[in-house]
Amino acid sequence: MNDRTLKALSLTLSYPSAELQQAMPAIAAVFRADLRIAAPIRAALQALADDLAQADLYDLQERYVMLFDRSRSLSLNLFEHVHGESRDRGGAMVSLIETYRAAGFEPMTTELPDHLPVLLEFLSSRPTGEARETLADAAHILDALAARLTRRGSGYAAAFAALSGLAAAEVDAEALAALLAQPEDDPADLAALDAIWQETEVTFGPDPNAGCPQMRDILASMDSPTRPAAPARPSNL
Amino acid sequence: MSHLLDRLNFFQSKELEQFSNGWGQTTRENRDWEDTYRNRWRHDKIVRSTHGVNCTGSCSWKIYVKSGIVTWETQQTDYPRTRAGLPNHEPRGCARGASYSWYLYSANRVKNPLIRGNLMRAWRRMRATMTPVAAWAAIQNDPALRASYTGTRGKGGFVRATWDEATEIVAAANAHTARVWGPDRVFGFSPIPAMSMVSYAAGSRYLSLLGGTCMSFYDWYCDLPPASPQTWGEQTDVPESADWYNAGFIMLWGSNVPQTRTPDAHFYTEVRYRGTKSAVVSPDYSEAAKFGDIWLNPQAGTDAALAMAMGHVILREYHLDRQAEYFEDYARKYTDMPMLVQLDEVDGRLVPGRMLRADDLDGKLGETNNPDWKTVAFEESSGRIVAPNGSIGFRWGEEGKWNLEEKAADTDTRLRLSLILDSDHDEVVAVDFPYFGGAATGDFVKCAAPEVLTRNIPARRVTLAGGREVMVATVFDLFCANYSLDRGLGGDWVSKNFNDDIPYTPAWAERITGVSREKIIAVAREFAGNAEKTRGKSMVILGAGLNHWYHMDMNYRGIINMLVMCGCIGQEGGGWSHYVGQEKLRPQTGWQPLAFALDWNRPPRHMNSTSAWYAHTDQWRYETLRAGEILSPTAPAGDWNVSLIDYNIRAERMGWLPSAPQLKTNPLDVSRAARTAGKAIPAYVAEQLKSGDLEMSCQDPDAPENWPRNLFVWRSNLLGSSGKGHEYFLKHLLGTDHGVMGKDLGEEGHAKPVEAAWHDAAPKGKLDLLVCIDFRMSTTAVYSDIVLPTASWYEKDDLNTSDMHPFIHPLQAAVDPAYESRSDWEIFKAIAKKFSEVAPEVLGVETDIVQLPLLHDTAAELAQAHVKDWKKGECDLIPGKTAPNYIAVERDYPNLYEKFTSVGPLLEKLGNGGKGITWDTRVEVGHLGDLNGRVEDGVAKGQPRLDTAIHAAEMILMLAPETNGEVAVKAWEELEKPTGRHHAHLAEGAHHTKIRFRDIAAQPRKIISSPTWSGIESEEVCYNAGYTNVHELIPWRTLTGRQQLYQDHLWMRAFGEGFVSYRPPVDLKTITKAVNNDAAEGNPHVVLNFITPHQKWGIHSTYTDNLLMLTLNRGGPVVWMSEVDAAKAGLVDNDWVEAYNINGALTARVVVSQRIKQGTLFMYHAQEKIVNTPGSEKTGNRGGIHNSVTRATLKPTHMIGGYAQLSYGFNYYGTVGSNRDEFVIVRKMKKVDWLDQPATGKVEAAE
Repeated sequence: MNDRTLKALSLTLSYPSAELQQAMPAIAAVFRADLRIAAPIRAALQALADDLAQADLYDLQERYVMLFDRSRSLSLNLFEHVHGESRDRGGAMVSLIETYRAAGFEPMTTELPDHLPVLLEFLSSRPTGEARETLADAAHILDALAARLTRRGSGYAAAFAALSGLAAAEVDAEALAALLAQPEDDPADLAALDAIWQETEVTFGPDPNAGCPQMRDILASMDSPTRPAAPARPSNL
Repeated sequence: MSHLLDRLNFFQSKELEQFSNGWGQTTRENRDWEDTYRNRWRHDKIVRSTHGVNCTGSCSWKIYVKSGIVTWETQQTDYPRTRAGLPNHEPRGCARGASYSWYLYSANRVKNPLIRGNLMRAWRRMRATMTPVAAWAAIQNDPALRASYTGTRGKGGFVRATWDEATEIVAAANAHTARVWGPDRVFGFSPIPAMSMVSYAAGSRYLSLLGGTCMSFYDWYCDLPPASPQTWGEQTDVPESADWYNAGFIMLWGSNVPQTRTPDAHFYTEVRYRGTKSAVVSPDYSEAAKFGDIWLNPQAGTDAALAMAMGHVILREYHLDRQAEYFEDYARKYTDMPMLVQLDEVDGRLVPGRMLRADDLDGKLGETNNPDWKTVAFEESSGRIVAPNGSIGFRWGEEGKWNLEEKAADTDTRLRLSLILDSDHDEVVAVDFPYFGGAATGDFVKCAAPEVLTRNIPARRVTLAGGREVMVATVFDLFCANYSLDRGLGGDWVSKNFNDDIPYTPAWAERITGVSREKIIAVAREFAGNAEKTRGKSMVILGAGLNHWYHMDMNYRGIINMLVMCGCIGQEGGGWSHYVGQEKLRPQTGWQPLAFALDWNRPPRHMNSTSAWYAHTDQWRYETLRAGEILSPTAPAGDWNVSLIDYNIRAERMGWLPSAPQLKTNPLDVSRAARTAGKAIPAYVAEQLKSGDLEMSCQDPDAPENWPRNLFVWRSNLLGSSGKGHEYFLKHLLGTDHGVMGKDLGEEGHAKPVEAAWHDAAPKGKLDLLVCIDFRMSTTAVYSDIVLPTASWYEKDDLNTSDMHPFIHPLQAAVDPAYESRSDWEIFKAIAKKFSEVAPEVLGVETDIVQLPLLHDTAAELAQAHVKDWKKGECDLIPGKTAPNYIAVERDYPNLYEKFTSVGPLLEKLGNGGKGITWDTRVEVGHLGDLNGRVEDGVAKGQPRLDTAIHAAEMILMLAPETNGEVAVKAWEELEKPTGRHHAHLAEGAHHTKIRFRDIAAQPRKIISSPTWSGIESEEVCYNAGYTNVHELIPWRTLTGRQQLYQDHLWMRAFGEGFVSYRPPVDLKTITKAVNNDAAEGNPHVVLNFITPHQKWGIHSTYTDNLLMLTLNRGGPVVWMSEVDAAKAGLVDNDWVEAYNINGALTARVVVSQRIKQGTLFMYHAQEKIVNTPGSEKTGNRGGIHNSVTRATLKPTHMIGGYAQLSYGFNYYGTVGSNRDEFVIVRKMKKVDWLDQPATGKVEAAE
């Protein structure tokens, strides 16, 4: 294991079980020892770990299912946030599986390859640079999930904040803003709701009136006469 | 010379070599970048599969798989070719199917078995010290514990479970229920097996071995057209879509082919290029309307008036003023029109009564076998009364005369259609017919005429056995009078002029429907004119738009009459094309033994869902329609004005309809008591029922002994899609938050039922356990106690057939089921295994008693020539004759799993069959053993194995005549016995064709002609229903053996439906002063008729949570209304609105469109409330679904049984869940509340 913190985060984001509850103190110790994580986040992780260790297991499980299994916007399948229902999702998952295999790992889970705990476990065995690079690619998703969980007052936000810190990436502000903009429904604000529902006009290409440059040139050359037109004859009528 | 100057030291030319005179060159540049593109479309394999949802498509798709992940799908194009001159089938498919693969990995997928947290907590606590069944019993016996999870249904709170634990809870609950209440308290609901027949069979096989109740669907969805069994004795049989191409004139009537039959629509387009004309009948300007050469837009719900006016024109111009030879010949041979009807005298007036039977006459016309079931007619030349071949009396108890040859008593016979000639009748008599058109309520046009219309009929005097003299008339003469046709016999309420405003003329229909009389006349003439020239190639494609009305039978019979008048039924390119919800299960007789475990024990427990849900969701407690409101003014005396559930209870105890549960006492205990008493089971039950010591459950649906306790829902979204009276389900069956706003009969102080026991406090939460098996988190899943993740349609092996094309198609596991999911077959196998492990705690080998109604296609369909109720002392209780039969069935509970996974010995012992014929099938069971292998030990030793879904599929294919030519020949030969005619030629060429699962994996295969169906598969004609009736002279399975246009059963006559008529929509009284606070407060609102057509962006509720499909519409629930109505309610397009009535409320965006006819609100079903649905201001709960404002209302005529074609069959006859007579109040929402705060102090999912 190259990075025990990533492994600890993988566990923290897994479905709560009695075994996990018992292991939480050890997991918390890993967080405490990792000075790459900012102090306030470490404190939040400690609170999360305490909660996971001490709360009623059924409550923890219900909460987990509600948050991560049932809420599309909090899905732990990263490609849900990148590709959604798009055709590209299958291909992206295939590439990820192949990445695992190329590194000598065969996925042994019923989870899909883009499930965050799966990815984190994989990264925990990879060189630090590679792990950081991969996390950096997903940084805007991690930030968005952290923000959404914070909004719900969920302690799980700390895990994502920690990951974001480990990625140490310049977050693509535009992508993050786009992700964060999605679920902001204010039920009281009808005008804003309407705006969300409003369909924008579809335009094909940069400027549909400009036309294709080559075609424009061809049309232009056709417009200019190759020989002068015959002079108009005076009408006899 | 040095080459140094010519040689490059630091570079190498890109160009290595030139060819083709310098036009080509070889280079060595790096082309690795191309791999990106190559890999983008690379795949490891392509697997054929299709979509197993409730959709007629059965389209062939290529599923592309790469590294074990489904990446995309495209349409297959390799269907077997059609014959020359007919377009091919492909490409089949639509945008919905093309977006399916993304469901596999969607965030809405159910990934693990889920259990309601409170239930899990209680279970683990009990299970720590107790055995499984004891643990379940402990939870059920503690009301607070039980309420802790039943009361939170629909409010989140799931935790994951292992398969082992989840199946153990289910098995323990089932075992406890069977032990304490009876196995029939375990219900299972799954629709439309044709789309994935092994998946359906998995659950129903488990239930049937357990003694649980398999619930019907076709009738519950209101897709069953009762007019079909009434007329033809056939559930539904229709032409394949390719046959549209053979039509000369097509009417699209309340069907929207381009939108809802997308893969088939091309045949409709193509036939128009061939010159076929098309008339489209649709109140709104639908997608189909623009296909029409003529568009008729009647007021919704008035179709029967339109059809009757067209019938009036056709009869006048093609049967009376001129007799089209083909039509007359067809009417004589293939319809009941020549048959004689007694005219009953009531208070000095005559009304049409029963059909005259051989039994009524002196000497019974020499008929000794079933003379009471042999209808009679006048012979043309001799004028004698004869009992022609083919009536249902010939079907049972004798051989060789159940056919449509023109014969009676072995003599050639030509029947007389009409007694109109002076020499043919003794008298012209006045006969009364009911008229309902004046009873219209609300916005429906009242066309005032007396409620009894008297017409003059030519009649003959006949002396009955015993000397009584009666008047008789032919069906044809009564039929014409019913259509108000003046035959020159004088009298009122008949007409020779289409412009007279007399009921059923075009002028009359114009007033009711809003369609001009010119259009009505023109379409009727073209329809009939084409049929005359082409010998029946006029077709009507019709559907849910007509069938979902309370009086759907009138809409349908009006249209069927047009088709029959013009000889279109059974002719290629003609006929009745009802395409709603049936999805023909072609290898039906191969599938039934698998699905209902007929190989181990018979009979299974079947239940008609409409009656069951009506009773168990307590919708009957709110019934606003009294039978007196729909009774005929000509009804004979009787206690007719009772509650609708009273009729259902009477029907159950007379053996007409099934019951579930059946007896108030656990049947396992009843059998024990019978044994102790030393009596045979049927006799014991009969005696106890008569004494009142034993009670039928139907009499007291609210008593805890009679509640359904466990419910499995698989392949279905019962609550989110098809649950008419959704809010009543939530309130009474589930016992959770609901939106019912009305009060029950007790609270309202209305008349209560006379047969059903009334409890002032209605039960809330009848179900102990609701199990949903689905791949997505549907509305039903959200409300369930246990959700089991199932394989999607690209992750399992199964079979699929459709009524739209003749091919059988596979579903195949392109990849393993994702996450923790398993196929339905494996899920029920696991439950069965667990059940066998836990059951011995309380169950051993037990004797169950199954209550069996009088079934269609068995000799029991001749049980009750007259209506007699044993409870009222009108007859003795004779099981199987005057009451249901009671049959002992052994249940070997500890060995249930072994039986589930093997083919039992009853097929070899009793044979296999369907629709009234049985054949020996030992050879096929032997072949199946060779193919699947045999069980080595245990109760099934030596029997064929049934371990995998493919084993199950092979069982279906091996046993069915449609997929095994050898069986087809045998089956036809069996049918030759009753008909006395040669039929086997229809399958002889296919004798050695045996279709296997791997064959259809290679290519969809066309099935083999079989007597299960009324059409044939051939290279000369397309599949068309009724073809073998007309061309092979096999009778329809009706009273007369002919197309039955007159319904002579007592209840039919009492409710005025002996003949067709126009019946306006019923008044359900759901807009009360109390509920309509908008009217009270003066808020802008509008009251509209609520219509729920099939949609474009989903197949029922499937795909309505798919982002791709949501993107194509408005991303959430919408309703459609006209600009006029929108203006009235102060609405503009895209406003949030609430629609409500006493049944509940729903919320949606409004689409304001010129397309919609004024007075109507459309809500395409079924848009799930789990996507973008805000809270309702009226109920305070999440918006509701389309069925939140509906409630099922039963119709007594659908409960008739024990009477020829009017006998019960699973999904064949019974009550239907109509929902289009409903009205709602629509108004703009003041505040849109997304209810995104926790409901119970816990985290709520943002859906």
